[in-house]
Amino acid sequence: MKTPLEPFDFNRREFLRGGSVASLAALFGMVQTVAQDAKPAEAEKAVTVTNTGVIGLGARGREAVTVLGSLSNGRVTALCDHYPSALKRAGTAAPKAKQYKDYRQLLADTEVAAVVIATPPHQHREIAVAALAAGKHVYLEVPLAGTVEDARAIALAARDAGKVVFQPGLQERSHPQSHFLLPFIRSGGAGRTIKARTQWHRKTSWRASSPNPDREKELNWKLHRETSPGLVGELGIHQIDTINWFLGQRPKSVMGFGSIQHWKDDRQTADTVQCIYEYSDDIHLSQELTLTNSFDSEYAMIYGTDAAVMMRENRAWMFKESDAPLLGWEVYARKDSFYKDLGIALVANATKIVAQGKNPMEEAPYPNPPLFYALESFLFNAHELTTGTKDFIENFGADDPKALANHLATLKLLPAPKWKDGLEATVVALTANEAVVSGRKITFQDEWFHV
Amino acid sequence: MKPPRLLLPNAIAPAIALTLTLAIALGSAASSAFAETLTRYQATPASKVTVNGTSTIHDWKMEGKIIGGHFEIESNYPLETSAGKLPDLKVKSSAEVSIPVQSIKSGTKRMDEVMLEAMKQPEFPKITYKLTELSPRTGEHKSGDPLEFVSKGELTIAGVTRPVEMTVTVEKFDGNKLKVVGSTPIKMTNHGIKPPAPNIALGLIKVGDEVKVSFEWITARKMDAPK
Repeated sequence: MKTPLEPFDFNRREFLRGGSVASLAALFGMVQTVAQDAKPAEAEKAVTVTNTGVIGLGARGREAVTVLGSLSNGRVTALCDHYPSALKRAGTAAPKAKQYKDYRQLLADTEVAAVVIATPPHQHREIAVAALAAGKHVYLEVPLAGTVEDARAIALAARDAGKVVFQPGLQERSHPQSHFLLPFIRSGGAGRTIKARTQWHRKTSWRASSPNPDREKELNWKLHRETSPGLVGELGIHQIDTINWFLGQRPKSVMGFGSIQHWKDDRQTADTVQCIYEYSDDIHLSQELTLTNSFDSEYAMIYGTDAAVMMRENRAWMFKESDAPLLGWEVYARKDSFYKDLGIALVANATKIVAQGKNPMEEAPYPNPPLFYALESFLFNAHELTTGTKDFIENFGADDPKALANHLATLKLLPAPKWKDGLEATVVALTANEAVVSGRKITFQDEWFHV
Repeated sequence: MKPPRLLLPNAIAPAIALTLTLAIALGSAASSAFAETLTRYQATPASKVTVNGTSTIHDWKMEGKIIGGHFEIESNYPLETSAGKLPDLKVKSSAEVSIPVQSIKSGTKRMDEVMLEAMKQPEFPKITYKLTELSPRTGEHKSGDPLEFVSKGELTIAGVTRPVEMTVTVEKFDGNKLKVVGSTPIKMTNHGIKPPAPNIALGLIKVGDEVKVSFEWITARKMDAPK
């Protein structure tokens, strides 16, 4: 559920709670591990490395540059931003990368095999469609675009793109934790699903400072109605996608509420948002996001008849009802107290970790940020698809596209969302934002999800 | 194919002539001299190569689905699997086989990376094999069983060529296809490959030097275009 760090993001409560050893360890443990992995020397890069360009070098784009540098199969060879100081700043993390002011120059660079697009969503369509047309593998941040129409145009281009990977930035879909929890929840580990809830709480203005009014407007696209997908479109989209995925369905309708409660500057987008999504079987998801209070940070919950499951960053707990059947393993599992409730830790490979004489909870289960797993999948799959196609054509020729497609279908890829998943999450999130802005209940139409 | 030297103009550089002479000398005598009597089968999809190995922790397996190249065998050789005794002479034949190293997969990203590095893949992207001799295994063979041959050839892995002798079966199917099946043990160190000892989550693993390579190679005769 990790979302990109904002420039002025400061989680005061988290810091004040620093007296807790666990949160300090988590805080610094994370930093340490990432630092160790941060920059494997060039010699340590795997031969499967894919040369990648990053387009759009705001906070998210710079995070992508760092993560790509830390991946054994990642290498940043090109950077692009039309704003010189953004280019310069990102260049310090990838000093050997070529720098371009215009994305078309980057797309014309034949050494670049893959691109990560991290521009504001309203600029996605033109760049993403051109990148696919240029034969690049494309990792596109979500929402796919600023409007449903643009998102569908991108999805169409991705569908027809042929032998390249198009991966929407639904990073939770590549996270090992999700792939451990998904079968647990889908198989009824928490009983029959009753409802779901997500929250994203921070105290941050969402505003970046800038040297002049033009740049100010450009930089703070999130605060202007015509360019902003709102809190729910920009941040809530990851949580909605996780819930949709785990429930195995998409919502039928959405109601939204939004207001500017605290940040009364000239912004046009709500700093506090609530949405209710209606699913089949009378299941509802309530989603809360605010920039005004950081209490309890961010997490997602699925409530079942036997237990509630809480997903928090890269960890999860199960809170069992007293009348729930005994699963067995939970007797030995580690428990954490949450006020009067006991959370049973859901840890992948817990028994294997114990067998190695380690404590499953002391081992950071997934030491890297979610974007790491997402980009690892992206580059791995891009490499597999490229080499799989090349090897096949070199040995058997290109006369039989069906045989080639059959061969490519046998490639074992890492888990990653497809254009369809990206379109679905984008349509749901942008529609939810529309419900927030208009104060209306909106019923989803099937055709919005097709290209 | 006629011996190419006859086609060369007199003015040709001696170096090129020498290269061609060598090429002929290296090729199987049968394939060059009697080319017109051979039928060519071209590699097609649906092949499989499997590498079974060991390590200090557990056995492992890698698999590839691409085996390229071609196989030629004398056109009137009885490849039908009816009962009888195979002619016990050497079979006029040739084969050149090529496998992209990167197409052999373990199913895990890290192990694939380790393997590609150990095999010096960027420098030697292909495993190649050249058949030098093919003779039927003596003895009766039962109806329906694939034909068995003893093959001799040269296997090049990571740039190092070693002779290899193994039993292969050849089976005709679908009218115009051949399935060649065989397996052979290979020592990595014979090909200058240091058995990897990667440091992974479970600790240090040391991979055993000897692996068993098995393959099912599918080739097809190009059907004659209608005249």
